[in-house]
Amino acid sequence: MTGDKEAILAELENGVKNLQQEVAVEAAKKALAAGVSPVEAIEDGLAKGIREVGEKFARKEMFVVELIYAAEIMSVAIKVLEPELKRTAAQRNVVGRMVLGTVAGDIHDIGKNLVRIMLEASGFEVRDLGKDAPTESFVSTAKEMGADILGASSLMTTTVEVQKEVVDALRGAGINAPLLVGGAAVSEEWAKEIGAHYASDANSAAVTAKQLLGKGG
Amino acid sequence: MEANFKPGRLCMRRLEVMDPKDADAVHLKSLRLLETMGIKVVSEEGRRLLKEAGAEVDEKTHVCKIPGSLVEESLRKCQRPVKMAARNPKYDFVLDGEHCYACTDGVGLATIDLDTGERRPSTLKDVADSAKIVDNLPMMHMYNPLVTPLDVPKHAHTVHEYLTALENCEKHYTTGSTYQREEAVFEIEMARAVVGGEKELRRRPIISSLTCTTSPMVLGMTTDAAIEFSRAGCPPLLMAMPLIGATAPMTVAGAVVLGNAQVIALATVLQLAAPGSPLCYSSEPMAMDVQSGLFEGLFPAADMVRAAHVQMAKRYGIPIFIGGWGTCSKAPDVQAGYEKAFSAFIAYLSGADMTSGPGLLENWTVLSFEQLLIDHEMFTMMADMLKGFSVDDDTVPLDVIREVGHEGHYMGKKHTLDHFREMWQPVVTDGRTYTEWKAGGSKSAVDHAREKAKEILRTHSAGPLAEDLRKDLKALVAEAEGAIPHK
Repeated sequence: MTGDKEAILAELENGVKNLQQEVAVEAAKKALAAGVSPVEAIEDGLAKGIREVGEKFARKEMFVVELIYAAEIMSVAIKVLEPELKRTAAQRNVVGRMVLGTVAGDIHDIGKNLVRIMLEASGFEVRDLGKDAPTESFVSTAKEMGADILGASSLMTTTVEVQKEVVDALRGAGINAPLLVGGAAVSEEWAKEIGAHYASDANSAAVTAKQLLGKGG
Repeated sequence: MEANFKPGRLCMRRLEVMDPKDADAVHLKSLRLLETMGIKVVSEEGRRLLKEAGAEVDEKTHVCKIPGSLVEESLRKCQRPVKMAARNPKYDFVLDGEHCYACTDGVGLATIDLDTGERRPSTLKDVADSAKIVDNLPMMHMYNPLVTPLDVPKHAHTVHEYLTALENCEKHYTTGSTYQREEAVFEIEMARAVVGGEKELRRRPIISSLTCTTSPMVLGMTTDAAIEFSRAGCPPLLMAMPLIGATAPMTVAGAVVLGNAQVIALATVLQLAAPGSPLCYSSEPMAMDVQSGLFEGLFPAADMVRAAHVQMAKRYGIPIFIGGWGTCSKAPDVQAGYEKAFSAFIAYLSGADMTSGPGLLENWTVLSFEQLLIDHEMFTMMADMLKGFSVDDDTVPLDVIREVGHEGHYMGKKHTLDHFREMWQPVVTDGRTYTEWKAGGSKSAVDHAREKAKEILRTHSAGPLAEDLRKDLKALVAEAEGAIPHK
């Protein structure tokens, strides 16, 4: 049985990192049939695969298109595992809880979605506010989920200012969780100036987020 | 596809800078000049061949008046298609009009040193290094020594260049400065030694020769060398180099006609010497800076002459080798970039089979290794456009478009995954964000190109020549040194 489990986990991982959706989905079905816990199937299978893709992406050995496709495969495979996940009320080991969104006035969310992929793969529970997210929603969602960290993305020079509004609103509401900022219009200097933390790409966002929570990375 | 060899494709519609009736007029006016005014032919053999074929030859002035019918008959005889073979057969290619290629251009005298950044006299090592880089770059398809080495015996520099090129580059070789018959004879002998004899070289010509005509209206001593190449079955590239306003009229059309007349006159001589042999049309016009009197390769007028000559070559059904990528900039800079881009792109848009000039600055006189990498990058960009695109069920995925709908994106779709590798990708172009760029040392494309050039020189080498062959080639070079006249 242990051998079976190892093989199934490897298939889940390989399905994601080799970009083979059928392999990942079949392996998810096998995992259920073989009684592998869905949490293990995700964490020791699918997420391992996506982390490797993310690392290869950071080293420019894989392409952004492949990273996103790998994330699609992972989410399709998770859908297979979901009923069992709910039935057993199993909990994934959560590294941290995060609120993430593209700030108000900005509709560019592809980069932000990449950040979500990498954070989820690194064990974060991410509440995604989507794009053009009202500043108040960062505050209310953070309170609601007890966020350990937040992320605000902005691509346009006209909307970077809104990141400062987000920091101010959070601090005004007594939320002291660190805010991660990123996006094409953002610089490290700007992040410092507004009392936030900077990440230049999806992979470094995941690394920085872990470090900020003292979880290594 | 070979990692070090990728032909360009010419699938999009061709640009024609002249109305077809104007192209006809260029042809007729060229014939009229050759018939009534004639062309001065310095080569004795050239004059004899023309006379035997019915031209009116004045042995005092060396002017030959060539009947238009003889010219047209000669143009029809040229071998089609022309094959350009290489030391390594995997780099052979055929000029079929559907593909495009790039060659270095020759005979610079100075090199911008890759380590010091200083300009210095060029050496045989520069020939070796540039050959090695061309051997490595996938969209550089043929090698012509970019510089003339000043550290070998001057009268025999061409054979030294050829040996060094053979040692460092397995792609097709073009000699750019073979002016004497004796040099041609030895280069042909060397090529025969490489491929295994006279018959094999005829089947797989691994060498071609740029042969300059002289403006206005002269076929110089280079004709004798070209005759040798034609007889050996190796294509001469018949180059016109009209200087607009000086050795050609001050108008684009005037320079087009003058250059065309010279090229088709030389084609006639060569087809008389070796009927049915391969040859290519070639053109490298320059323009006069009317303020200073200097000659520049980059002016728009010169680029128009290039494009018109491509159109004439197409009209004749002969492949064309265009000397392009002109710049008078002294450094690999913005000016070099835009001048070179315009000059090369209009030639390819017109359907040029080959262009030359990557890597040279200041009107093809100074080698910059950085520029060679940058020009190669520009050609990969041009080729990505020149290949055109098809409109079909696979390239227009209506089902995927419907699936993505009115919002969302295509980044996670299988269709995207299946096609993204077709996208052009930079090697030396910097596309990073300001933050990454600054953190990486604020490097420009020139810096990236320098690093890439050094990396190639550190890691790449052409397949070695067999030791026996190398000995034979060295012996030929030594013999050539004694036999080629000091001129």
